[in-house]
Amino acid sequence: MQLLIKNARIVLPSSKWHGQQVDILIENGTVTLVEPTLDIPSENTFDAGGAFLSAGFVDVGTTVGDPGFEHREDFESVTAAAAAGGYTAIACLPNTSPALHSKPEIKYVRNQARNNLVDFLPIGAVSVDCAGKDIAELYDMRAAGAVAFSDGKNQIQSSALMLRALLYVQPFNGVIINQPLDANMARGGQMHEGKISTSMGLRGIPALAEELMVQRDIYLAEYSNSRLHLLNISCKRSVELVRRAKAAGLGVTASVPAMNLACTDRELERFDVNYKVMPPLRSEEDRKALKEGLLDGTIDFITSNHTPLDPEAKDLEFPFAEFGAIGLETAFSLASQNLHAAGPDLLVEKLSLAPRRLLGLPLPELEAGAEADFTIFSPSENRTLQRNSIRSKSKNTPFAGQPLKGKIFGVVRRNKFYFDR
Amino acid sequence: MTEQLSTKHLLGIKYLTEEDIQLIFETADEFKEVINRPIKKVPSLRDITVANMFFENSTRTRISFELAEKRLSADVVNFSASASSVSKGETLLDTVNNVLSMKVDMVVMRHPAPGAPQFLARHIGANIINAGDGTHEHPTQALLDAFSLREKFGDLAGKKVAIFGDITHSRVALSNIYCLRKLGAEVRVCGPPTLIPKYLPELGVGVEHDVRKALRWCDAANVLRIQLERQDVRNFPSLREYSQYFGINKAMLDSLDQEIVVMHPGPINRGVELTSDVADSEHSIILQQVENGVAVRMAVLYLLAARRTASTSA
Repeated sequence: MQLLIKNARIVLPSSKWHGQQVDILIENGTVTLVEPTLDIPSENTFDAGGAFLSAGFVDVGTTVGDPGFEHREDFESVTAAAAAGGYTAIACLPNTSPALHSKPEIKYVRNQARNNLVDFLPIGAVSVDCAGKDIAELYDMRAAGAVAFSDGKNQIQSSALMLRALLYVQPFNGVIINQPLDANMARGGQMHEGKISTSMGLRGIPALAEELMVQRDIYLAEYSNSRLHLLNISCKRSVELVRRAKAAGLGVTASVPAMNLACTDRELERFDVNYKVMPPLRSEEDRKALKEGLLDGTIDFITSNHTPLDPEAKDLEFPFAEFGAIGLETAFSLASQNLHAAGPDLLVEKLSLAPRRLLGLPLPELEAGAEADFTIFSPSENRTLQRNSIRSKSKNTPFAGQPLKGKIFGVVRRNKFYFDR
Repeated sequence: MTEQLSTKHLLGIKYLTEEDIQLIFETADEFKEVINRPIKKVPSLRDITVANMFFENSTRTRISFELAEKRLSADVVNFSASASSVSKGETLLDTVNNVLSMKVDMVVMRHPAPGAPQFLARHIGANIINAGDGTHEHPTQALLDAFSLREKFGDLAGKKVAIFGDITHSRVALSNIYCLRKLGAEVRVCGPPTLIPKYLPELGVGVEHDVRKALRWCDAANVLRIQLERQDVRNFPSLREYSQYFGINKAMLDSLDQEIVVMHPGPINRGVELTSDVADSEHSIILQQVENGVAVRMAVLYLLAARRTASTSA
């Protein structure tokens, strides 16, 4: 297979082509030629028209429904959704049925990625069934291809288990991912606790419920001298706590969902369940702090927080609806709408390079012999995600039909590609 | 009548204007006169079918609505479901379609989920009246409370109303806060901090933890029922302790410099939030509230139906 990409502006800070507009020839999944202009025939040609080309985006903490919830999302539909969103790899949460908690499940997910446009990187469960009790076989799962460990949507409530996991992975420099929330304190909560929740008569999820666990996890990371990733933080004080932990030289990283960067709890005033997500959309003050955290490097990257849900779980009275929204196909637009002033380098850092570093993935090169793994995007192009063109099996998003800024033109990985122009 | 409500549904006081509230009161004045006549029935809703859908237990609100509907000559159907069958919410979605095929014009709904009336309003064309949605709003209760105070005080602007009890879990408190604030009254709440939302002051409400101080401050005391069934954890240790430190008795009222009005949305836990000698005293307007409830609900039904007729003929 031959693919010629023309007129792409390179965003790869480590490359000699960084900042330049080039033509790229890819043959059988490998870059063979990079020149300012290539006038050669090719089986397939894509003219990027001056759009940016970077290392493929990587999502951390994607929910895929396979195995167990294939009616919400399977590997085929998530591949289409991820590619449309600019991702060439997704690190999947272990909250499946059965959970990704031992070697066979990890291998199952790995096998789905063979010759696929999008790579599937399984995050192994910290505990058996993600139940928060007994530690799972982390060494075995690592050997089978698990890239990190987490109980995913089930935050690790037990401090003792969290410490055990951090200690256990320390010898192989593994990373424990926790989405911080004290479930006991958040129990029954429906949205961010504040003026809006009070005015709606809905029980709030206090920012404190997140901040307490962020602080707990930082203490445990310090004690164990191990690597911790705080997945999807949402509060101003969480950002401050992470900032201090980093200044102290701890192995702590953090991420924020694109939706929490773009929206606040005001969106919920009309009881629209599509804005009911976890972590909850918080105040404008929190949102600003998250943005600052991204800009100053406190928050390492942006996630899609992709959580597909069927109407039976979502289209219900507000308190009965489950938390979550799909995000793969909108994360880039939300990120670029909120960070466009910082330029394409920052977007690429937050959507591709930083998640790659966390998971120890290679940074794609742009030279003859390198494996093709690229995303082509424009932060300024307007688009509208129509409901009937959503590629995810589930349609639980508040952004269907809304104008968005920032568009993915395509992805290339090995000998597969997807273009939309 | 040319005047109309600004809204098609009564989902909450939050969504009403002050003019809406005054219009409801003026209409309720007329209906109060009607229900004290020997012949209490008027033909205003003769071609209207109202469904009373109660997904949560209710005695007085349901009876009050039904009476209001019958006095207006509406056709009435009643539907009630046990709390267990709605716990997953399927019932409401299915009910939506049933309501549609029964050609019901108006739905009066009580539901345990905040926002359930909004959910229904998004899916069906009937006018929705919220008869209580979880811990969100109970608009007709707030309207009848304010209507009863208006009878006592005339204008509510500048009047001081204290709400006592479990504010966190009370739709009555929230609707009362919105209604009283829109009418220019001052509102304070009083109870233990575990029963008062942290961000309530942002809605323009004062907070007091000393019952005697709150009573000294107010012109009217609206005392809420202490509901243990709304609490999945104990926010206060016992009813005994609550009544000792937050209950209102006659001696407290007698020690005040001014005479205050005592209200209660019912049903009263006698001896817990109020002693019997308070509930039955000359301070209390609890039974007037119940009577006014019918007149106010007639006004709401009438005004929403009038808007319905106006919009179909237009």
